[in-house]
Amino acid sequence: MLGKGIINGLTVTAWNFFGSYFSKSRLTTVQYPEGGNTVTAFSRNIPFLVFDDANAPIDSLRCVACKICEKECPPQCIYIVQDKDANGKLIKSPKIFDIDISVCMGCQICVEVCPFESIKMDSHFELAGRDRFADLLLHREQLAKSNDYYHKIHPAEAREVDDRLAAKQKKAGPA
Amino acid sequence: MNIAFYLLSALAVTGALLAIRLRNLVHATLCLMFFFISLAGMYVLLMAEFIAAVQILVYVGAVGILILFAIMLTHHITGATRERISSRGWLWGLGAALAVLFTVLLPVLLLSVLPAAPATPDFSPSVRNIGLSLMDPYTITLQVMGLLLTAALIGAVAVASTSVRPQDKPRT
Amino acid sequence: MILNTLLDNPDQILVNLFHQGAALLQACPALVIALGILLSTVPLVAIFPACFAITTWLERKGLARIQNRIGPNRAGWFGLLQPMADGIKMLLKEDIVPQTSDRLAHFLAPVLLLIPAFTVLSVLPFSRNMIPAAADTGVILFFALGSISTLPVFMAGWSSHNKYSLLGGMRAIAQMVSYEIPLVLSTVTVVMLTGSLNTVKIVEFQQVTHWIEGSNPALQILGQVLKWNVFTPWGFTGFLIFFISSLAEINRCPFDLPEADSEIVAGHLTEYSGFKYALFFMGEYVSAFAISGLAVTLFLGGWSGPNIRPWWSEDPRALLIPGFVWFFLKMFALILIMIWIRGTLPRLRVDHLMAFAWKFLMPLALINIFIAGAYYYLPHWIGWPAGLIVIYACYEGLGRINRRHLGPKRIYRYA
Repeated sequence: MLGKGIINGLTVTAWNFFGSYFSKSRLTTVQYPEGGNTVTAFSRNIPFLVFDDANAPIDSLRCVACKICEKECPPQCIYIVQDKDANGKLIKSPKIFDIDISVCMGCQICVEVCPFESIKMDSHFELAGRDRFADLLLHREQLAKSNDYYHKIHPAEAREVDDRLAAKQKKAGPA
Repeated sequence: MNIAFYLLSALAVTGALLAIRLRNLVHATLCLMFFFISLAGMYVLLMAEFIAAVQILVYVGAVGILILFAIMLTHHITGATRERISSRGWLWGLGAALAVLFTVLLPVLLLSVLPAAPATPDFSPSVRNIGLSLMDPYTITLQVMGLLLTAALIGAVAVASTSVRPQDKPRT
Repeated sequence: MILNTLLDNPDQILVNLFHQGAALLQACPALVIALGILLSTVPLVAIFPACFAITTWLERKGLARIQNRIGPNRAGWFGLLQPMADGIKMLLKEDIVPQTSDRLAHFLAPVLLLIPAFTVLSVLPFSRNMIPAAADTGVILFFALGSISTLPVFMAGWSSHNKYSLLGGMRAIAQMVSYEIPLVLSTVTVVMLTGSLNTVKIVEFQQVTHWIEGSNPALQILGQVLKWNVFTPWGFTGFLIFFISSLAEINRCPFDLPEADSEIVAGHLTEYSGFKYALFFMGEYVSAFAISGLAVTLFLGGWSGPNIRPWWSEDPRALLIPGFVWFFLKMFALILIMIWIRGTLPRLRVDHLMAFAWKFLMPLALINIFIAGAYYYLPHWIGWPAGLIVIYACYEGLGRINRRHLGPKRIYRYA
């Protein structure tokens, strides 16, 4: 019949209209922020530094200031200065670890090249500040988050990382 | 109802004057449309609502749009350029107008006697009467009008259609 | 005492108010005329912009729900104050006029669009005895005044001194002028069978008067509904043609090519910002109300709806639920269908649009006139089915004739 397509279309939209009051699949809007947000286990935004011990966050950072991520970062938004101990000898810890998150493009290359599983992607996105430059340059203290937080935002990944670290420990241990 | 007549006449005269005097052709056409609408108002005053409606439909809705489309195809629409055409000047025009006034218009207006009562005693203006008279005394007129309109339509289609043969037309 | 007469027939509140006022002001006839004018125009001018506000809300919520999202729900309960927020925003926007534009025409175009939109409301009967201008040629006056609205569209397109505006304006006028023909031809059937151009008589034709004035409430209800023009074969076709052509007349989806953002940057409305844009918007919506009102009057029985006579009234034509309630309900039903169609159909391309008007709707409307004539002369039990069959055959036939010859059906495979 001529015009059957139009009538089919009209019934589809009518079903959608009435169904949107009853079924969730026909009303996929999430009313941010009251209705929560759509962050999933696969979301990523900017990097963060993982530490293992909550009592000494900066001291237990996994980062050894090898500067591989600084070299590999495409927009060059990471700035690392290695720490020196009391005698002036370089130690395996970053004194300054700055990421300019207005430059960071979330490509995750720093995560992929880090040999020590110390930098991972965070999914936190409410990062607005009042100062255009100072508030968007995150320092070591702001970037350091615990391993438990990592488990919370990316559980499967965190478990894999922990298994790998444990295997490395076992290989390094007896040897 | 005198007020309505004076108002409508003033609007009509203003519209007509502006239509012939404005340099911008589009503005002049819009003033002409305004004139047609005030004319339709005067038809309503004469209790001929059907004619008023048809006046607006035909003149404003169709002829006006046609004039505007035709103006689009010309140059110098905004009247910014001033061109001189050879003419004799406004004094000669005034003389010609006065001549027409005194030889034709004034004698006719002063000597003719308008009847005080309408021609037909039972004056019932209605579309029904127009329709009935189109069917009965004026049937041939109606058929001829129909033929004329059909000829115009066919002519329009013939003018507007392109000369592309069906097999040459690109498939869309 | 006054309250009694006012409520004797709830349908006729405004009429009774006028009679009371006329009785009070008997001394001065000019004041009586002024009162009549005020009582007929002030409600219109007050109600229709309010309807416009409600319709913008309805449209946004309706389209949103069709498109799997919630509409505006932040400005007040369920977003009901959103039209007010929109109005305030439009008022406060900077009014930008291009430097090379034609100032007068640019300024007058939105104003001139509103004039026919509101003027045509005066020939629609909102209830019994409630029509602002009871003209004997109501239907033709409606179309005549409606056809004025092509001029402001042209003025808007031309005066903006912008290629897109001019093109959009030309397309808009071509569309409006083309669709006027099926629009008017589809009303010819109604006028033919009613025998009058008077909208009041057209509504009365669609009511079974002796049932309504009888005493059986069931018959009263049926008598108001059964004889609507839309329940006849020619009326149904006429209604469909009228509705589709009215969508094109007011530049609404799926015929909104002249003002589509993705096609021509709002066409003739490109250079309008702020309140002038809101006025254009309002002109379009009030035209939508007016044309829906005419569709309701011609085909859907005007102000008649399933009504019974209130038991306290002696007037044989009194109604329990006022006529204008039914009128506005039906008008809003048509507006909701317009919103529904907007959410469903894609836009028509300009050559498809023109071909649809000239090659499909116009022949169908002409055939409809013949069917209506045959229906008048044949007895109903032949006229009804014969009319239906012939109309359906012509509908399918015209579709077949107009279908372009396509190539073989293309089969797409995922790579």
